[in-house]
Parts: sequence; C-alpha cells; structure tokens
Amino acid sequence: MDLSVHLPRGLTLKNPVMAASGTFGFGPEYAAYVDINRLGGVSVKGISPDPWRGNPPPRVWETPDGLLNSIGLQNPGMDAFLKDDIPFLKTVDTAVIANIIGHTVEEYQRVAERLTQEPRVDAFEVNISCPNIKEGGIQFGHDPEQAYRVTRAVRQVTDRPLMVKVSPNVAEPWVIAEAAVEAGADMISAINTLVGMAIDFKTRRPGLGGRTGGLSGPAIKPVAVRIVYELASRLSVPIIGMGGIQSAEDVLEFFMAGAAAVMVGTITFQHPERMLEIIEALPRVLTQHGFQSLQEAVGAALPR
Amino acid sequence: MAHAFKATIVEVRAVAPDHVELLLESPELSQAIPGQFCHVLTPGMLRRPISFSRIDAQRHQVGLLFQVVGSGTAWLAQRAVGESLDVMGPLGRGYEPPVDGRPWLLVGGGVGIPPLFAALERWGAGRRQPIQVVLGARRGDYLIMQDDFRALGVTPVLTTDDGSLGQRGTVIPAVIEWMVRQPESEVMACGPTPMLAALASAVPASAGPVQLALEQRMGCGIGACLACVVPAQPVGPEGPRYRRVCTEGPVFRREELVF
Ligand SMILES: Cc1cc2nc3c(=O)[nH]c(=O)nc-3n(C[C@H](O)[C@H](O)[C@H](O)COP(=O)(O)OP(=O)(O)OC[C@H]3O[C@@H](n4cnc5c(N)ncnc54)[C@H](O)[C@@H]3O)c2cc1C
Ligand SMILES: Cc1cc2nc3c(=O)[nH]c(=O)nc-3n(C[C@H](O)[C@H](O)[C@H](O)COP(=O)(O)O)c2cc1C
Ligand code: FES
Repeated sequence: MDLSVHLPRGLTLKNPVMAASGTFGFGPEYAAYVDINRLGGVSVKGISPDPWRGNPPPRVWETPDGLLNSIGLQNPGMDAFLKDDIPFLKTVDTAVIANIIGHTVEEYQRVAERLTQEPRVDAFEVNISCPNIKEGGIQFGHDPEQAYRVTRAVRQVTDRPLMVKVSPNVAEPWVIAEAAVEAGADMISAINTLVGMAIDFKTRRPGLGGRTGGLSGPAIKPVAVRIVYELASRLSVPIIGMGGIQSAEDVLEFFMAGAAAVMVGTITFQHPERMLEIIEALPRVLTQHGFQSLQEAVGAALPR
Repeated sequence: MAHAFKATIVEVRAVAPDHVELLLESPELSQAIPGQFCHVLTPGMLRRPISFSRIDAQRHQVGLLFQVVGSGTAWLAQRAVGESLDVMGPLGRGYEPPVDGRPWLLVGGGVGIPPLFAALERWGAGRRQPIQVVLGARRGDYLIMQDDFRALGVTPVLTTDDGSLGQRGTVIPAVIEWMVRQPESEVMACGPTPMLAALASAVPASAGPVQLALEQRMGCGIGACLACVVPAQPVGPEGPRYRRVCTEGPVFRREELVF
C-alpha cells in the first residue's frame, strides 16, 4: 500500500507518521534506536533565535497513562541548531520540520527568516501553544488576533510549507486555527499538551519545578481526537493530528477524525521503536477496517 | 543499531527490608562502565532508571539493586527468575577510572551504594594505595552491600541517621576525617543530592578528581527530551546552565555542578 502523503507547497512525506516536537530531540539523539530514514518526518525541538534555559527541575511527572512536562522549551538557539544538528539531518532522508518559538512576534519572524535559508528545513511548525513558558508562546495561542500576527509575520519571510500548532487549552481552538489560516498557514497541527499539575506529597508543593506542566500521552487521546475532528470539520487545510498515539489503530482513529498525517510523541520514551512498528502495521490495520488506501480513511468519520 | 531489548533475570535476592537485587543475563548490559545505568520498562508511562550494582563482562551478568519506593520498583521487586525485563542501556557517562597511586575514597548513601561497589569491584583489585569506603543510610538494616565490600577486602566505615549501626549522623564527618589523613585522595560518590552537596563542600581543594553521580526524574533516558537536568556550570546572569543527567551524567565532576 502506498503510504505517502502529499501536503501543501510540495511537502511530501513517505508515510504519515512523524516524530512530535520535543520528544525526539533535534534528530541525532534517537539515531541509535530508530532508523530515521523510515519515518515520515521529524519535528525538531522548539527553536528560538537565542538560547533558552528552560524551567527548573523536576521537569517530568508520571500520571496515569500520561506525562506532565515542564521543560520550558530549553534549546540552544537557531545558530547552534544550524551548526550542530543540520549536518546530521543532511545525512537522513525524511522530512525535517522546524518547530519555532519566540517571546515576541519579531522573534518568531527572526528564527523563520534565518532557518528558511537552510534548504534542509522542509517545513515550519509554529508553536503558539506551549503551556510551559510564562511570556510569549501561549498568549499567541489564546488570542486569534495574536495568532494572526505571528503567522503573518512568519509567512512574510518564508515560502516553505507552514503549519501552526494549536493549543487544546482554549474553548474554541478552531477560532485560533482559522485566524492562522487566514494569515497564511498551509496546515494546522494539533494538539499541544493540556495544562495540568501534580502535588508532591513529600514537599507539599507542586511536583514540577515549573509548577504547572503540559499533559501528554494516551490519557489525552480522546481530547486530541475531538479537536482534530472539530478542526477538520471547519477548515479546508490539512490537519496534522497528535496526542496520545501508541498504535496503528490510534493513527487510523486520527485519520478518520480528519487528520492528513500524524505525529507521535510521549510513547517514544517508553518504546523508541514504536513509530516504526506503527508504520509497518498501518497497511494491515487499514485493510482490516475496510480501507483500500490511506486517502480513503481521511475524514471517514466526518459528517458529510 | 542499539535497541530496547530483553534481559533475562537469573537471580532474585532480597538483600534488606524493601531492597531487592536482580541479577540479569545480558551481553549488552555487561559492557557497562560503573556509574552507568539502564532504563527499565515497568507498567507505568515512563521507564525507570537503575544503576548497575555489579558488572560481570565474563559471565555476561549485571546486577540491579533497588529500594521499593513506588509503583515501578514494587513491580520490579515481584519479578521472578526466568522472566525478562525490557531494558535500554547501558546509558550515560560512568565514572572515570581512578588515577593510579592516589588514595581513593568511595562514598555511598542509601541506594547510591550499588554503583560504588561496581566501581570498587572493577578497579579496586590489586591496588596498593589506601582505599576507604564510607557508607551511609537512614537506618542500619538499609546499609546494603556491606558484605560485598568486605569480600573485596575493604572494611567500610558505616554511618546511620538514627545511630542504629556505625557512627550516628551523616557520612560527612568520616569523609572529613579521611581527607585530613589523605588530602590528595580522589573521591567517587553517589547518593541523595543533599549528601552530594555536603560532600562537594566538605572535600578540600587538595583532593584529586571528585566524581559525583546524580539522580533526576527522566523521560527518554537518551538525551532527547531535556527532562533530567540539574543546575551546572557556567552560571550566567540568569542562573546556572542546565545539563542532562542521562547523557552528560549521571557522573559529573564536582567543578561542573552547582548545588
Ligand atoms: C541514574 C539513576 C540511577 C538510579 N539508580 C538507582 C539504583 O541503583 N537503585 C535504586 O533503588 N534507585 C535508583 N535510582 C532511583 C530510581 O530511579 C527511582 O527510585 C525509581 O525510578 C522510582 O520508581 P517508582 O515507580 O518505584 O517510584 P514512583 O515514585 O512511583 O515513580 C514515579 C516517577 O518518578 C520517578 N522517580 C521517583 N523517584 C525517583 C528518583 N529518586 N530518581 C529518579 N526518578 C525518580 C520514577 O522514575 C517515575 O517516573 C536511580 C535514579 C537515577 C536517575
Ligand atoms: C517532553 C515534551 C516536550 C515537548 N516539547 C514541545 C516543543 O518543544 N514544541 C512543541 O510544539 N510541542 C512540544 N511538545 C508537545 C508534543 O509535540 C505533542 O504535541 C504532545 O506531547 C502530544 O502528543 P503525545 O501525546 O503523542 O506526546 C512536547 C511534549 C513533551 C512530552
Ligand atoms: S531523560 Fe530525556 S534528556 Fe535525559
């Protein structure tokens, strides 16, 4: 079965399964465990113009079927990414998605402007939905006007395929997504993590150094499927779905809810090889559920 | 290509109240350096990092000695001989071998004791310079691996918080006493962060390398998620830089860290 996916502006994935931003480093980290050439793509850890320190530890907290994280978008900045990680990414054959972040509209634009000069960057994913930073980031994802401004600023400096990643922590994520599309986004990716908290019984304080964190993993899958469904029902651009995927059946569920491709995050920590197993199982699972092709499954559950 | 793989349990030892040591057969893990760890699959969302208590490359065996503190370690403690564990490893930066001819001080606290035993077993044999082992725990029956150290011909100095065995209090007085006698000792330690912090300031600058193995909550275990960080040098205007325990540690040099 042909698993390739054709997305706007010529972005072609050899299969619909990509590594989700922040769970797969900048590429080289998992190279010993996963044949990256077999992935549909890799969305790298969020990149800002200048290095970000991130939040104080502890930064992860296990929950039932889930994970709270407050990494706080620690990253070495765009120059270090270009110098240290692009050479590795040039040796692998998979779509490279640059996930970008900033404190201000100008910062988002700066990092896009710089990275668009690097041919190995196949597409951009604008993260306006990270719950783990106090300023910037999230406010862009909670206000349609801000989402419009950020997307517009990035669109002005790049012709590459552009997706905007929306937050589940708003009542109507599609309002944000519509603003992003109006400003020039080619695709929407969803969802980022849900804001949560855990209390440490020993210290009698929030367990995470950043106090609140973002919930990911299988626990959030129903929320993610619901949001993908709502986005796909309302928007005409492709939706890149994610949130709690751990099997080929889960991927099929996202397709049927309207996703054109998916990203896989937290489960990789448990099973580094799981993405490859999913890709391998996908044709069988599609056939088993009566689909002759991937395309046929996309949006199968949407109202007609 | 490295993998998560299976390692068979060949022996289960109850070593102390709520402390279990599993001996695993695994050619891959038995290549480990003392201070490295493996990331073990348990029923929870995340794998559990556990250090090696012994490493036998000839017999392709390693030990994992842990205290039951929560769901993952409780599950591990119920495993039986013949079952296998899904592991990733060996991971992280282990101890650098001790310098020949320098006195050598090993300090272990609680479940930080196992990696020091692995270090002594690997590098202690046939050394003529003075070696001192100081072990600490909350209470006497938690002072694990004493007999293992004695079997290598080293009599550990014992300390307990409640005074139920050995000197009452922390390991620090015994460390200071040794450093007065052997000021150029090199130091390897593993234990709770407050113990390591106290040790880092108690060991004088005259000492040789001071290597400390740290703990932190982990996600991936292989450097990709930036979960497992600890404050480290250099300290900039915004504070210390964060470095990853899983790949840049668990073993750090004292001068790399900020407590
Ligand atoms: C490099 C390294 C080596 C270690 N070696 C040993 C060892 O040899 N023997 C031993 O007994 N313990 C060791 N630990 C601590 C051990 O990882 C924890 O005790 C264990 O993860 C607790 O899991 P749990 O499910 O029983 O506890 P829970 O409290 O139920 O665990 C919940 C979550 O918190 C994490 N967590 C809880 N306590 C710790 C901790 N102290 N350090 C890191 N993560 C923690 C767990 O991994 C899990 O993700 C080591 C830790 C690290 C980082
Ligand atoms: C440790 C961790 C770090 C993350 N970092 C980022 C990030 O830098 N940028 C981003 O857009 N999303 C980030 N995410 C969110 C994921 O990309 C994904 O949207 C979310 O985890 C849901 O998918 P999952 O349940 O499969 O993990 C992170 C998630 C985790 C668990
Ligand atoms: S645990 Fe993921 S970087 Fe260390």
